[in-house]
Amino acid sequence: MDVQALEQEANKAILGAGTSDELDAVRVRYLGRNAELPQALRDVRDKETGRTLNEARRRLSEAVEARAEELESEELERRLAEEVVDITLPGTVIQPGHLHLITQIRREIEDIFLGLGYEVVDGREVETTYYNFTALNMPTWHPARSPLASLYLDDDTVLRTETSPAQIHTMEQREPPIYMVSLGRVYRRDTPDATHVPIFHQVEGLAVGEGITLADLKGTLRHVMRALFGEERDIRFRTHYFPFTEPSIEPDVSCFLCDGDGCNVCRHSGWIEMGGAGMVDPALYEFVGYDAERFSGFAFGLGLERIAMLRHGLPDLRQLWDNDLRLLQQF
Amino acid sequence: MKVPVSWLREYVDIDVPLADLAERLAVASAEVERVASVGVADEGQNLEQFVVGRVLEAAKHPNADRLQLCQVDVGSTEPAQIVCGAWNFGAGATVAVARPGATLPGGMELKRVKLRGEHSEGMILAEDEVDLGKDHDGIMLLDGALSPGTPLSDVLPLVDDVLEMEVTGNRPDLLSIYGLARDVAALLDSELRSPPGVEPELAGGESVPIEIHDFDGCPRYIGRSFTDVSVGPSPQWLRTRLHRSGVRSISNVVDITNYVMLTFGSPLHAFDLDLLRGRRVGVRRAEKGERVRTLDSVERILTPADMVIIDGERAIALAAIMGGEDTEVSDDTTSVLLEAANFEPVGILQTSERLGLRTEGSNRWEKGVDPQQAALAATLASQLLVELCGATLEYAGDESEGLPQRPRIAFRPARASALIGTEIDGAEQRAILERLGFDVQADGSPGSPADADAWIVTGPSWRARDVVREVDLVEEVARVYGLEKVPFTLPARRELFGRLTQEQRLRRRVEDALAGAGYSEAYTWSLASEDVREDAMRLPTPLSAEHAVLRTNLVEGLVNAASLNRDAGNRDIALFELTRVYLPSGDQLPDERWHVGGIAEGGYFAAKGAVEMLHELMGAEPRFERAAQPFLHPGKSASVASGWLGELHPRVLEGEWGMFELDLATLFAEVPERRLYDDVITYPAVHQDLAFVVDHALLAGELIGAIRDSGGPLLRRARVFDVYEGDQLPQGKKSIAVSVSFQSDSATLSDDDARGLREQIVEALQERLGAELRA
Repeated sequence: MDVQALEQEANKAILGAGTSDELDAVRVRYLGRNAELPQALRDVRDKETGRTLNEARRRLSEAVEARAEELESEELERRLAEEVVDITLPGTVIQPGHLHLITQIRREIEDIFLGLGYEVVDGREVETTYYNFTALNMPTWHPARSPLASLYLDDDTVLRTETSPAQIHTMEQREPPIYMVSLGRVYRRDTPDATHVPIFHQVEGLAVGEGITLADLKGTLRHVMRALFGEERDIRFRTHYFPFTEPSIEPDVSCFLCDGDGCNVCRHSGWIEMGGAGMVDPALYEFVGYDAERFSGFAFGLGLERIAMLRHGLPDLRQLWDNDLRLLQQF
Repeated sequence: MKVPVSWLREYVDIDVPLADLAERLAVASAEVERVASVGVADEGQNLEQFVVGRVLEAAKHPNADRLQLCQVDVGSTEPAQIVCGAWNFGAGATVAVARPGATLPGGMELKRVKLRGEHSEGMILAEDEVDLGKDHDGIMLLDGALSPGTPLSDVLPLVDDVLEMEVTGNRPDLLSIYGLARDVAALLDSELRSPPGVEPELAGGESVPIEIHDFDGCPRYIGRSFTDVSVGPSPQWLRTRLHRSGVRSISNVVDITNYVMLTFGSPLHAFDLDLLRGRRVGVRRAEKGERVRTLDSVERILTPADMVIIDGERAIALAAIMGGEDTEVSDDTTSVLLEAANFEPVGILQTSERLGLRTEGSNRWEKGVDPQQAALAATLASQLLVELCGATLEYAGDESEGLPQRPRIAFRPARASALIGTEIDGAEQRAILERLGFDVQADGSPGSPADADAWIVTGPSWRARDVVREVDLVEEVARVYGLEKVPFTLPARRELFGRLTQEQRLRRRVEDALAGAGYSEAYTWSLASEDVREDAMRLPTPLSAEHAVLRTNLVEGLVNAASLNRDAGNRDIALFELTRVYLPSGDQLPDERWHVGGIAEGGYFAAKGAVEMLHELMGAEPRFERAAQPFLHPGKSASVASGWLGELHPRVLEGEWGMFELDLATLFAEVPERRLYDDVITYPAVHQDLAFVVDHALLAGELIGAIRDSGGPLLRRARVFDVYEGDQLPQGKKSIAVSVSFQSDSATLSDDDARGLREQIVEALQERLGAELRA
């Protein structure tokens, strides 16, 4: 038997096999049970010949393996080439739900203040007039106390008109330092229109400790405004009046649409009103038993709907309560 | 408040551009909503086109009965022919003329035109045409001493700017031109002129007794009587100032009271003295049911909380709010009683609110007017009545009691610097306070904060209500020093609180999980039309019938939201809301609880899937039991420990809607404070599928419960994956297929172990439920 010739012939057949099936046939023909080489190996008597035959068989086996791998790759590639899809067709639908825009703004603000080391306090929504008005230094004749302005359940019980009663509760519970924000629903007897809904959302914050200044309020609110409206924003304070703060101010943020050049959103002033703030009026410390000589602090309030309108161009607040998926899914 | 800048300049020098003044005022005093240019536009040569003219000839237009054809000397060589529609003048009249090329307020440009065949070169002006007033009954008649061609802007305030301001309730002193001038002088450090008004000669005559019955409500009443009053129109300057301030001109007497109110912020009233019975005046509380007919011809029915002005017999005016019709000044009036009084704010506010009647007067009184201003107002009004109405001042009375003292305040400039957060020199603080009218008595060396412990600061009468404490003075210093100069700093912290509570984090987790599962978040009103609980808290005077009850559940809001979306044609509707409900507690305040509710297309199992998902997140195993709710399908409703779920009753909303609502505190109660590692990795679990034939009525949950009870500690999971009913089973039976798995955290379970556990379950189920293992 001419081993060399056989190996040559087999190698040729191996390389010639075009499919796995053909290769299988080649393998059976040259390496199968009844093939010439294995037969010869079975009959071999001398060591030398045995080694030669064995090596030839090993080489052929390896060649078959190698060819098999080649063929497999080729076949896989061919199959993959046939499986090309239109990669622009839609994917399997995963319809995400959307958090309400006000929730998103609320969390954003909570996170800003968590970053500033404030706690988030959930106050009550139904309050006594003491916590909603009296302890906030609102005199008995203050217009906000009027049933024309606020929603009363009875003479002494009111749906909170701001989230600041939570500040009084917190101050009553412990001594400064206090760094807190409370966010949530507040209620006013307004006739619904594009910019008023009787239920809306506020964030109100309080910082009380030793040595807290008006300048600290300015720095804090600038940080918040920049976080909400962009790092380029500037802030200014205008003097104002609130019963619960003295000095009282209204913070304005530089217009993020026109950068101060003047546009409709800022009414051509370059500034946008953002809420109310000031240094906590010492009268409040009397209500909660703090030493007004030792402690000072600031408080502020912003409307979440106002941020939604300004930042997202929402034209009509009433739509926030319609829950139309076409609106919810935009945010 | 509208502030004509030309008027303001009469009392204070303004040497900065108007825009700077507006900015300064907005930051330090009161909001400036707008700076409006009013009158004739001062652009290009426009002003030159407005001149004084003298009418040389005036005759009926040959082709029009209603028009006059005039020759007017306008200072040129040739007279101008002008067609005019007014008839309140004739030849010789001195008039205001706009020449062709002039642009009128409102933008109309005058051209040479032909009117009914006659040339017209310009326009003889009525006051409304140049925004000097509202009158259009006739043209303006000017002083005959003026020579034709004189620029009209030298004679009339054709051009002005108006500051539109919004003054806060604590600063009624700024609701006046002179009061605002005081603040401007302090802000700009410029000179404030003396208040206007020169006391006229007191001619003497019969007195008008003044009797104040309630000094608490009316601490001061200045009454002055005038004779020889000639009521007529006001001069143009007065009409224009009122017009630009937003006040309608009525007659010289009434205009004077309004003008003086605008000047000093202290409202006045003029009565026709001849109509006062008994020639006396007084102030008292109204009697219950007492009536007075106010100037707006409405009969007001009063209560003892209201204040009235009285004559010898009756109430003649609603004090501080509106005069009475019976004693109104008319064209026939010849003697006047001028009232310059002072009223306490709170009662006025209540009366005005109760009657729904707010006036320029009440708006000032309700904020608290300085009683000292009444004297300034009386003087200026008297001067003007004499000068403009030819009146004679006959009698002057001034009754008062318990007028407030100027507050004395101990003030530490160092404290001001500490609160503001920047070092403000003591001398500067002192200068600021003095410019604002405060008297400063510094015990230490003046202007040196280090030496000065406390200054004694005495406030001006016009700030006696809102500047009474040291901190109020700090505000004065801060706002005039300049809020813009206060630096940006952050509080020095010694303690931090920046973390959410576990409950807050879990609420976010619930929101995120539902959103991830395709539920969008709804916000619905806390106030519903009805509630399943009869004791739910109600608003005695609700906003509307739809929003009358503080809800105890989220059903109505979510059903309405789903319904709106369905009607809008939206698809795959799934909504949740996480908010508070208000459960009656028996006490004053309700028990406010956080609930999460959801509504989704897909019926009972849509709701159940969401409820199971939320429980899995909390690591809790919910137990579902049949439970009815009036708004749910009776056969597809259930309860869990924290709430309910089910398919919406078709009468509530058509379609197959799954709905659930859970109390979050109950749901969160099952969450362990910390979760401990459970080894489910090291040793593999053994899975087995078992099918049991059971009675048709048996709930799958009962079968699973029995498997759990009997499976022992190694049973890790048991879950229904199929239910079969049909031909291959006896009547009244069904097959429930369950996948169970066993796992140990300390050994690999053998087939024998698993077989033993399985048999234990099969035996127990046969015994307890008569369940047969299906071959």
